[in-house]
Amino acid sequence: MKPIRTITFFLFIIGLLSCSEEENYVPVEVVEEPQISPVVFDLDAVPYSTLSAYNFFDGAIVEQSPVYGVLPYDLITPLFSDYAKKKRFIWMPNDAKATFTTDDAIVDFPSGSVIIKTFYYDNVLPNLTTQIIETRLIIKKNDAYIFANYKWNEDQTEAFLDNNGSFVNVSIEKDNNPFEINYRVPSETECRICHKSANESAIPIGPKPQNLNKLFNYTDGPKNQLQKWVDVGYLNNNIPSNINTVVDWEDEDESLELRARSYLDINCAHCHTDEAHCDYRPIRLSFSDTENAANSGICIAPEENINNALTHIISPRRNDRSVLWYRLNSIDGATMMPLISRSVKHDEGVALIEAWINSLETICE
Amino acid sequence: MKHILLSLLSVLTIQYGVGQSNTCNDAATDTPIVADVLYTVNPFFGDPSPSNCSETAQSIGDGLWYRYVPDGDYQLIINTDLPQNTGRDPRVHVLTGTCGSLSCAGGDDDGGNQFLAVATLNVFQGNTYYIVWDNRWQNSNPFDFILSEGPIPPPPPVTPVTFTTQSVANPTGSSSRGLVDMNGDFLDDIITIQSSSVNISYQLAAGGFNYQSITDITFRPPDNEGDPQPTTVRYLPTWSLAAGDWDANGYNDLLYGGNSGVTFMKASSNGAAYTEISGPEYVFSQRSHFVDINNDGDLDAFVCHDVEPNVYYLNDGSDNLQFFQGPNPNGVPSGLGNLSSGGNYGTIWIDYNNDGLLDMFIAKCRGGEVSAKINELWRNKGMNAQGKYEYEEVGGNPGVNLRDPMQTWSGAWADFDNDGYMDVFVGASSLSDGPSKLMRNNGDGTFTDFTSGAGFDLGLTSIENIAADFDNDGNVDILFSGGIYFGNGDLTFNYFNASMPSVGGVGDANNDGFLDVYSGAYFRNNGNDNNWVKITTVGKGYETNGLSNRNGIGARVEISTGSGINEKIQIRDVRSGEGFKFMGSLNTHFGIGQATSINYIKIKWPSGIVDQINDPDINTHHIVEEASFTLSVEDTLVDNLILYPNPTKDYLNLNFNNLLYNGNYSVIDLSGKLILNAQLSANKIDVSNIANGIYFLSVTSEGKTQTQRFIKQ
Repeated sequence: MKPIRTITFFLFIIGLLSCSEEENYVPVEVVEEPQISPVVFDLDAVPYSTLSAYNFFDGAIVEQSPVYGVLPYDLITPLFSDYAKKKRFIWMPNDAKATFTTDDAIVDFPSGSVIIKTFYYDNVLPNLTTQIIETRLIIKKNDAYIFANYKWNEDQTEAFLDNNGSFVNVSIEKDNNPFEINYRVPSETECRICHKSANESAIPIGPKPQNLNKLFNYTDGPKNQLQKWVDVGYLNNNIPSNINTVVDWEDEDESLELRARSYLDINCAHCHTDEAHCDYRPIRLSFSDTENAANSGICIAPEENINNALTHIISPRRNDRSVLWYRLNSIDGATMMPLISRSVKHDEGVALIEAWINSLETICE
Repeated sequence: MKHILLSLLSVLTIQYGVGQSNTCNDAATDTPIVADVLYTVNPFFGDPSPSNCSETAQSIGDGLWYRYVPDGDYQLIINTDLPQNTGRDPRVHVLTGTCGSLSCAGGDDDGGNQFLAVATLNVFQGNTYYIVWDNRWQNSNPFDFILSEGPIPPPPPVTPVTFTTQSVANPTGSSSRGLVDMNGDFLDDIITIQSSSVNISYQLAAGGFNYQSITDITFRPPDNEGDPQPTTVRYLPTWSLAAGDWDANGYNDLLYGGNSGVTFMKASSNGAAYTEISGPEYVFSQRSHFVDINNDGDLDAFVCHDVEPNVYYLNDGSDNLQFFQGPNPNGVPSGLGNLSSGGNYGTIWIDYNNDGLLDMFIAKCRGGEVSAKINELWRNKGMNAQGKYEYEEVGGNPGVNLRDPMQTWSGAWADFDNDGYMDVFVGASSLSDGPSKLMRNNGDGTFTDFTSGAGFDLGLTSIENIAADFDNDGNVDILFSGGIYFGNGDLTFNYFNASMPSVGGVGDANNDGFLDVYSGAYFRNNGNDNNWVKITTVGKGYETNGLSNRNGIGARVEISTGSGINEKIQIRDVRSGEGFKFMGSLNTHFGIGQATSINYIKIKWPSGIVDQINDPDINTHHIVEEASFTLSVEDTLVDNLILYPNPTKDYLNLNFNNLLYNGNYSVIDLSGKLILNAQLSANKIDVSNIANGIYFLSVTSEGKTQTQRFIKQ
């Protein structure tokens, strides 16, 4: 794909400057007709009642093959959601682009931006097939974000707007064993528990520069995602050269500390940050905040006594004495953390946090 | 203890393996260990301690046994808080008796620096003690310990009551939620919920329990055609359990407040089976209740919503619960906690202004500078012209002082100073927006902060805050996380946290008149010589139109003891659901201290009927059916209540010079049906909307009721 959107944007600027959009104002150096994204999007009419109405995908929507302008992306470290796999896409209207603010804040999206996330399982029993459960959209509508969840039908031919929440039972094969998941499709309110900033206003969580700053294998070759967003005209070109970047929580070449802090950032920081749902608890778990070890709960006494053996939120060297590990390891609804988005234990995530806690050397007073 | 021991170490002999045994029987014949000698524990492979005598509940690991026989009465300190033990985590159990019949005498897990154990206990000459080290937390490192003997210190302040942890047959785990009658005998039973069973230790009249795991459950139908029949309930009571007999068949039903919805478990006609009812509505449940919200004699349900307006389920009296959320002209027109972003954690239904109408307080919590964390008090304004009960939020009205931003998960409401009005202790779950508060009810709808000097440790936090009289002294106490604030009856409290129950459901699991606590463990109250009385309120609305819900939930119960200036009046509201998570007894319990008689028990039912039992037996569980001890209408009949006109077309003008604060009026037809019920707001009552006929008007104020017949034309 060539950097068509840059050109489109250029055209738009020319149009503004000349107070006209007539063809004969196009500079002669433009050698290609701008390719138009075929996405169907009317800001006043969204959310549509079906996913296919947006025309985000070429051919059968189950293939999730994006049309021109629907750009796939990935996060360096993703949220755990009951072992669901995810495909992510971003789309913006022709004349709009996002702006970098800070490494650890979501980019400032323009009105009309659509963040698309499809949740699916591979290895669904009995025939080890792929099953898409839902596609969630976050749409920037003027100044505010709205949520639109599309639940897929059994035939995998369409997904229907459903913001009321529901359950889907999924049986997958995991580590050569059958594994049952009572998957929760969230209601709009449940989305908002995590996806909110100060004053309870809705926000996206994932697309922060620090979690996007990685190579992605596009159809025309690998490229840094932020650079790609700039190239296609989705992001203003004011990206600093040094971005404080999270690491892939699974990358064993990285330190336990960075992996654990990256994991806590995406799984926990949306509630455990200033002005968020749980800011009254004495931990701050964003990747930036946990540069200060006390913010992650190291040697901090818990306010809620789950049991007497849990002496600190993180008790160095002692995962079995640490509230944070205990809650990640729990599937009891009133004890487990995160308190939504999962019903089963993330064994690999728990193992990472356990190894990190047991590697800490601080002596608590 | 480090400083005492360091100087001794140089002269000590280190004893490896001395007195160290793998079993109690071996230790019984091995050399006993003595004070001031350093012993090394290594390795572990013996029998575990038969009991956990430490403060941490985790299961017991392999043990290593030592015998100790004091040659006098001492305070014994078993110390591992030594420099060479840094980083180790021993746990110790000290037992006394003979092998096979040992009981805990002391123990410790983390009493020293870091995770080092320091057990302190009194030991007595002539007894044999077994010190059992426990491999629960560490397995390879050897560690040292030393005993020291000192004089027995003066005893700590005497606890008003003590508790003993008893084992019960219920499965352990986080679904341990209830201490409330389930089989209609009005004895509190112990309830643990699992996804495919309701597990109940039924209290036996003769003492002890009969444990039953009820698996005869009719689960909800499948969500989608073709889905298999569910075999587990949709929502577990992860956030709260409530009990009440909403279908009035004599067996309490259950409400599970779950993460993303609400499940009702309806008891069968003999209580031996349940039917699951789970709605599709998303509810991030917090505290839940059964309560007759519209006062029609049929029990409704209410659930706090963490992230949306609160929800309620109105009972049509024909086995149907209808879901409502927020204000609704067919439900509660005003709603009951309507903020779109919720923040509702701990509701409690109380009559704070003694007008006979149930009000509701919401303890709220939410991070950030948001209105969702501001507590609310919803005053019941009584019936409107359409016969619906209307509420208004008054927490921020002048002088009320309850619109507080503190982060709280529950408020404990009771008459802590026995002045006839319910006060409130609002417990902080976090200190980020201020500590706990005690607010005294001034009796005129306002509250005053009495926190200072009340005896609270304001550095503590608690999710569960439950008012009850645990020592039966006639003054209400507060069960707080890990301890009890014992009330002195004057808005001051003494805190005890040693050997006190953890939080839980409060009830009487052994029918001895002393309140016990259940939350995974059963904390049995060992009682004292104070006297008590218990009352079960049986509403008769299921038989007679116009009477109250079968559990009598919402009734105001009052007792009087003593006489003259020493007369003491205590009050309770019958509640299903207080604190945050657990369900306690539906019986009303009073301690009466050393009083040997009770002047009367008065029950003001939600129907407006008042029953009064004069000179009831003390130390007795009274089961009172509604209207069986009623002050008959004739007893309260007067002919000068209504000034004019009678008969009337529209208004009744009352014969009062001044408006009665807290006065409540009701209009009942000849069949006993409640037609109007509201607080007096003027000396004039609008009866223009009721049908023509003969009625009784009752006006109640300050406990006194006057009734007069009138005719509507």
